[in-house]
Amino acid sequence: MTRILLRDKLDNCVARWRKAGLTVIGPVKKETFSSYAAVENAAELDLSMIMPDRSIKGLFFPQTEPMLHYTIKKQALDIKDFTPPPEKRIIFGARPCDASGMAIDDPLFGWDYKDNFWFQRRNETVIVTIACTKADDFCMCTSLKLAPDSTKGSDVMLRPLQNNRGWLVEELTDRGRDAFNEIADLLQDGSEPEASIAVVPEKFDLDACVTWLQKTENFESTFWKEISMRCIGCASCTFLCPTCHCFDFQDEGDTYSGIRRKNWDSCSFALFTMHTSGHNPRATQSARWRQRIMHKFNYFPGKFNVNSCSGCGRCSRQCPVDMGITETLQAISTLQP
Amino acid sequence: MTIQETYKTRAKELLSSGRVKMVVGYKAGSTPDRRRPHFIRTPEEADRLILDSACIANLSGYLITEGLLSDEKSVGIFLKPDGVRSLNILAAESQLNIEQIVVLGFDVNNNEITALKGEKAEDFSTLIESLKEHVPQTPGNPLLERIEAMNAKERFAFWEAEFSRCIKCYACRQACPMCYCRRCIVDCNQPQWVNTSSHTLGNFEWNIVRAFHLSGRCVGCGNCDRACPVNIPLRLINAKMAHEVLGAFDHFAGMSQTQEPVLASFKKDDSETFIL
Repeated sequence: MTRILLRDKLDNCVARWRKAGLTVIGPVKKETFSSYAAVENAAELDLSMIMPDRSIKGLFFPQTEPMLHYTIKKQALDIKDFTPPPEKRIIFGARPCDASGMAIDDPLFGWDYKDNFWFQRRNETVIVTIACTKADDFCMCTSLKLAPDSTKGSDVMLRPLQNNRGWLVEELTDRGRDAFNEIADLLQDGSEPEASIAVVPEKFDLDACVTWLQKTENFESTFWKEISMRCIGCASCTFLCPTCHCFDFQDEGDTYSGIRRKNWDSCSFALFTMHTSGHNPRATQSARWRQRIMHKFNYFPGKFNVNSCSGCGRCSRQCPVDMGITETLQAISTLQP
Repeated sequence: MTIQETYKTRAKELLSSGRVKMVVGYKAGSTPDRRRPHFIRTPEEADRLILDSACIANLSGYLITEGLLSDEKSVGIFLKPDGVRSLNILAAESQLNIEQIVVLGFDVNNNEITALKGEKAEDFSTLIESLKEHVPQTPGNPLLERIEAMNAKERFAFWEAEFSRCIKCYACRQACPMCYCRRCIVDCNQPQWVNTSSHTLGNFEWNIVRAFHLSGRCVGCGNCDRACPVNIPLRLINAKMAHEVLGAFDHFAGMSQTQEPVLASFKKDDSETFIL
């Protein structure tokens, strides 16, 4: 039996989840900026936007977080580990591309070392995704073989009903089922006509791109210089990206005591690969942009069998100089393999 | 002939005569309202040139791309008055030889584009003089006026909230033609002078460091503001500093290629008497 969540019941759901001790998070639009943020009631949610400016990545992998506190004494070294405080959360209204992004990064954070910061938050968070009924010029999930209603990475998928009445509930994981059992009496049995899912045209031939990227002679192609000439080397694309996951360790404090933090880092920065000798193996911006594309569509799938891109399009949507993955892959798919 | 066509012809002439090796202009972007930088090396490439009221990015930062001017050949560039001012600063701060730059000047006001006469930075000096004379006494920006009316505590809270969104992607720095340091102070990590973390303190440190470094140098082009992916109104900080510098030292950034940097020069009638 399918179940329906009516929109006018959403406020009760938020209240119920909060009462059960969950932090409710969802898309929130402020004056000039939107993100996934904690809310106290359904009215604070903005479920009409295409996607928030920032992805949900920061909720699992914050831009900066403490890892340990150190004190160095004459004969001893004192280390106190930080762990994120336990917090059960439900993200209501995630976008399929954002949810997919988290699933894409799971193998990375659990590969040779299990990142407890990531997995604790993953395990404590229910991702309730709403399928997209609209898209913009930058959306490209279909080019990545995903879709505006992909269930990848979601605990619950909600399919919008016609006339904005609510959503058809599709529970996908035990975590999702538990959260929706909490509000079972607010759901309605039955089915209603669904709203049509957004149409996202395919923008490039991913397989052709991957074939080109895998050819070692293309590593030195002049293409990289041409395509990245206007790249200014900021980290807007990497930091907004749901799947970019590089980080840096920094000790803040003095020689004797301080905090070791984990901070977002970006392959766009010259400093990212700078050696202590002063030599930089990625000395130019084109080498850095090539790395970003190669990592996402060649090295990452080579290791984890999945592309490190979920097609949200934020890299292109917010690039200060109108670059992005779409343009690059479109250009590559027209090149001779 | 439209301004765009006139300039397209001009760009082609500059390239085919060998006067310049490249023209930096604008072309169509990924959506109808977007323009992106266009690096034109052949007359044919100039066909894709677009010049209209959507061409507002200051392109002068590309002039100091490593190696671009080192062969002593000339480069043409489309610049609005703010771009000419930043070009003057780059020359005054010895970042480029201004003789190598051919300016294709234009201006955009109220969505109207106009051509500006001249091709050397100094040809625009009368125009820049008049910009200085006409600097408005009041900010003319509702948000800036709101901030000006706040007390120190409220102002701090305002910026704390704005900076709380900062993710330290450094798009502001990278988009700014004045932020040309090969190694920014925040990237100096032996020792790490400025925290790289984007927590409250780190974000304040970064944004205040940048505000000071741009005092008397910012031309108000708005590149930083437009580049910021989390929409912090960065331009207001620099506009405030420009206003302070104008009032205290009668300094308007980018007047000429020989203008001394305000924070690296000294005049006997400077208002800070404690220096002597």
